[in-house]
Amino acid sequence: MGDNRKITEKRNRSYRGREITVYWKPSACIHASSCYRELIEVFNPSRRPWVDMEGAPEERIIETVNLCPTEALTWKWNEEERNSDVDRAHTNHIKWRRPELYSQSGEDEDASSLTVRVLDEGPVMVEGSFSLICGGKSTIMKNTITSFCRCGQSKSQPYCDGEHRNIRFPEGETP
Amino acid sequence: MDRNKTVIEVIDGGPLKISGSICIVEKQGGKPEDKREVYLCRCGKSASKPYCDGSHNS
Repeated sequence: MGDNRKITEKRNRSYRGREITVYWKPSACIHASSCYRELIEVFNPSRRPWVDMEGAPEERIIETVNLCPTEALTWKWNEEERNSDVDRAHTNHIKWRRPELYSQSGEDEDASSLTVRVLDEGPVMVEGSFSLICGGKSTIMKNTITSFCRCGQSKSQPYCDGEHRNIRFPEGETP
Repeated sequence: MDRNKTVIEVIDGGPLKISGSICIVEKQGGKPEDKREVYLCRCGKSASKPYCDGSHNS
């Protein structure tokens, strides 16, 4: 990987604040406008640079970045250790939206175990790093969370697409 | 092959095979257990969920 970047990725930016860094990936922006409607003091498209990390308390910046519906805006703690504790509620933390950025900072986690959570009447959630073998292809997945279908009804197999909510999840849940 | 490597294999028409160093929680709120290899049901028909019991063949 590394230098093998596409031209669009050259426009990617990062903005470092005191405790957090915000990442900007313009190619992913769908102009939902949630960032500047929520926090124009920080996200002002008519200013250069358009992100001012001093414009508001960083908690507010985190809240606003989490509202972005795509990976256009993501964030991380500058203190790397704190990033492993960030939960799913922070939808736009880099580890959920841009795992390629997160794996650069947590290279040593490779050997740690994979967490497999079976959700009641739902998918199996796998968290960590692994090789995925599917349809004869092998892919390396680093520090990701992936939900696999357990009900057999998903249209995007092997992944969960939420279809289990529309059917009665097959009985016999007890192991 | 790396001993620590965790592999998830989507078996065509069959279960999800996970091997390596695994920590599995079988039910929400359940106790995490360490395992080396599991086969998880993907078709919804198994009587011993979350594990595969071969029911996908029937």
